[in-house]
Amino acid sequence: MTRSGGQRADDDRADDARPGAVWAEATDGFNRWVAGDPTGLDDLVAVMTPVLWHVVRAYRLPEAAAEDVIQNTWLALVRRRAAIIDPVAVGGWLTTTARREAWRTAGAKTTPTPVEDDDLAQALPRQRSAEDSVVQHDEGDRLWHAVDGLPERCRRLLRIVAFENRPDYRELATELGMPVGSIGPTRGRCLAKLRVALIEAGGI
Amino acid sequence: MSELSRDALLNIVRDAYERHDPVPDHLVAAMQAAAAMAASDLDLELMELVERSTELAGARGSTSYTLRFVHGDTDLLLRIAVDNGRSRVDGWIVPAEPMTIRALPGEEPVTHEAVVSDSGRFALTDLPVGLMRLRLEPHDGSRPAFATPTFEI
Repeated sequence: MTRSGGQRADDDRADDARPGAVWAEATDGFNRWVAGDPTGLDDLVAVMTPVLWHVVRAYRLPEAAAEDVIQNTWLALVRRRAAIIDPVAVGGWLTTTARREAWRTAGAKTTPTPVEDDDLAQALPRQRSAEDSVVQHDEGDRLWHAVDGLPERCRRLLRIVAFENRPDYRELATELGMPVGSIGPTRGRCLAKLRVALIEAGGI
Repeated sequence: MSELSRDALLNIVRDAYERHDPVPDHLVAAMQAAAAMAASDLDLELMELVERSTELAGARGSTSYTLRFVHGDTDLLLRIAVDNGRSRVDGWIVPAEPMTIRALPGEEPVTHEAVVSDSGRFALTDLPVGLMRLRLEPHDGSRPAFATPTFEI
């Protein structure tokens, strides 16, 4: 894996931002399914579908298109499961497959309208559960505006990094139109921008 | 100044997106169903296409034709009619046997289904055109489901 831009000793560990449990559960479900237990597949889908949602939506696909990409990813897994030699890598196989398809789908649709709709949808307040207190709301809104106010490239990169387990920098670089070596430094700059935005917003 | 670590920042990003662009409620169940269906298709036995009539062009661009499939002792005759961009499949199974027929259109996630009558007939209406497959599920649980190969309407 190409890694660059990490100066800190905890760099490797810090990449595992997503709690490791998700990936372990994915591997466990996959193993049980391959061994003949259909609930293993159910569990794998349940634990990885939310991750795929966030990764795919980072490509600004409308909801319906995002759901199609995710469904195609699952169909690909079922049909090509023999190609997954290392069960530990099943989570990465899924996110990579979904990213490729999302990137292709997003590139195929050059009309800007869906993106604008998407922007609106994201800007509108989502319905929250009744127990959300006003305080939580304000806090959440401040954090959201800090994240949402980042440049497009930062939003996509950070969302992918936040939800994925060690994304492949080579592919990310291609998709973001950046040299491979600049992903690490860009991520660092994006995180710095977010830190500043959070401080300015009083969110922290 | 803040000492927010990379992990803490990425946690904030994750929380923000989980709150503001949450996974749709139906998505996990829908994906579980799609994956389970695809998995059960893996060892599905395929019928064999043995006959296909030439297309009969009707008035105003409607067409119809027949396909015949066999699998073991089961014979399946389909009459497919296309009109105004939608299609209709009339089927006849010999020997007649209680089963559920599921149409699996390539693009639409929705499935259409019908139950075979005592005389062995069934009809699937308002199907999309395009790639299509029928899955035949005998109500006798000891008989495995089987399917037609994909055909194009």
